[in-house]
Amino acid sequence: MSDLLELPWHEAKSQASPREYLDACFAAIESHDPQLHAFLHVNRDAAGDGLPIGIKDNIVTTDMPTTCASRILGSFTSPYDATVIARLRARGAAIVGKTNLDEFAMGSSTEHSAFGVTRNPWNPNCVAGGSSGGSAAAVAARMVPAALGSETGGSVRQPAALCGVVGVKPTYGRVSRWGLVAFASGLDQIGVVTKTVRESAEVLGIIAGHDEMDSTSSSQPVDDYAADLDAGVRGMRFGVVREAVEQLTGEVRGNFDEAIKVLRGAGAIVEEASVPTIGYAIAVYYIVANAEASANLSRFDGIRYGRRSPNARTLAEVYSDSRGEGFGAEVKRRIMLGTFALSSGYYDAYYGRAQQVRARLRHDFAQAFAKFDFLITPTTPEPAFEIGAKTNDPLSMYLSDIFTAPANLVGVPAIAVPSGFAKSGLPLSLQITASHFTERAMFRAAAAYERETEFWRTSPRA
Amino acid sequence: MKIDREEAQRIADLAHLELDDAALVRMAEEMTKILTYIDQLREIDVKGFEEHAGSQPTPFREDGVGVGQALSLSRQAGELALHQAGELALHDAIRRNAPQWSEGFFVVPKVIGGE
Repeated sequence: MSDLLELPWHEAKSQASPREYLDACFAAIESHDPQLHAFLHVNRDAAGDGLPIGIKDNIVTTDMPTTCASRILGSFTSPYDATVIARLRARGAAIVGKTNLDEFAMGSSTEHSAFGVTRNPWNPNCVAGGSSGGSAAAVAARMVPAALGSETGGSVRQPAALCGVVGVKPTYGRVSRWGLVAFASGLDQIGVVTKTVRESAEVLGIIAGHDEMDSTSSSQPVDDYAADLDAGVRGMRFGVVREAVEQLTGEVRGNFDEAIKVLRGAGAIVEEASVPTIGYAIAVYYIVANAEASANLSRFDGIRYGRRSPNARTLAEVYSDSRGEGFGAEVKRRIMLGTFALSSGYYDAYYGRAQQVRARLRHDFAQAFAKFDFLITPTTPEPAFEIGAKTNDPLSMYLSDIFTAPANLVGVPAIAVPSGFAKSGLPLSLQITASHFTERAMFRAAAAYERETEFWRTSPRA
Repeated sequence: MKIDREEAQRIADLAHLELDDAALVRMAEEMTKILTYIDQLREIDVKGFEEHAGSQPTPFREDGVGVGQALSLSRQAGELALHQAGELALHDAIRRNAPQWSEGFFVVPKVIGGE
């Protein structure tokens, strides 16, 4: 049974009936999830002849609660399905369960979940990354062939990298966010975690496309993302982002240099690129994202849904006590930072300044994409870290997203592909970033690299 | 940027967050550290980038019959029973998620003359 789950979905489905495959998923969840805690809810009655899939628990579903890994949502169950869920169901997908995350997707380790940490399948003493840590761990441990996550600053790619699986963030506006609980509306985008690039392309093809319920969703036609997967990268131009890579040391550096050799060996042109402002992305991100979050999270006030503080006597206390008791420390920190950045007297110096630097970052990326088809960096500056290593130092946790946050600020697609292993046995990852709406070419490049390396064949369960 | 305890309290009030004294002190320290890192944004030359960076222009669409209008049209067209069944199911889902609910309304502590 476990061999079946080691195969990519497109191969497995010809070797077993949908029921057998789904049962294998439930059996794997039963044996691995008590240790890993990738899932917050599992729906044993989930049915469907198509892809079994896990869903990050900030995407609403009618048949399971949606908690955002927060106590403030109580036992909330949505009266409607998110558009991505409706599209998956229409294609026969079985919504197997809801996966763990940092509360409201705010974090890089899933340690900020109100319901306990998700452990890394390669080493249970290490984090699975975040915020979509449950989705990444569920796929890496071969419990489900695919899972949806959401990204605001790297929350799909970073945990995918730390768990040794493929994570894609599409172009801003490519996937409808109707039913995704909003964090930072100018950055949020739903992404996909899978073992292989082909599965990633296929799942994105199902969920992508315009939706009249989300006015920020693009009406550009959806490409056939799997069409060019075998076409190779001969003659394609890859830019190595100098300002990101020059700080790298040790194993991550060595692994990245190997990846460059692999791409060159496949016929790609790999040269140095420059994005001078890339190092400022985290500073920009923590102003822009938190400012938007402070506004979006004002809806959690204990009035219409979720948990209301039993201690509140006045309406003002209903708001402040419900929020004070319901939100965890990291969510409060971000609401505070965002409220500060938007407050009278600081708006221009912080929010205004951050938006200007963001505009310059977009300009710098556009300049680089005038010369290159893709930009490459490692996905993360280091492999998975130990549980507890960064929880007392929010800033060092934020810097885990230093290579991923730029794509969210600029709105371009990016993909994390397994690139091998550190001496500790923990996975490493290559990030390929492409220009707006060129996912098809990006999948082609990622597939070419994957074909040369095939790191996905190594399983943490081996 | 230095945030002291009083400034942290001012921001917590703006954000409707109840924080105890120890939490306020810790929050002020953490915010000071994070904002000091963010202050590096002052170094960058942003001349020519004064416009805010939206990812896309605001999308517009032609006027047309949307979901809400379709519901009211179906009501006019005599599909009242079907419409009411859908509305009742939605009503029920909202009621089940409400912390306090009575006779079709969310209940909150008395606002006028209550304190």
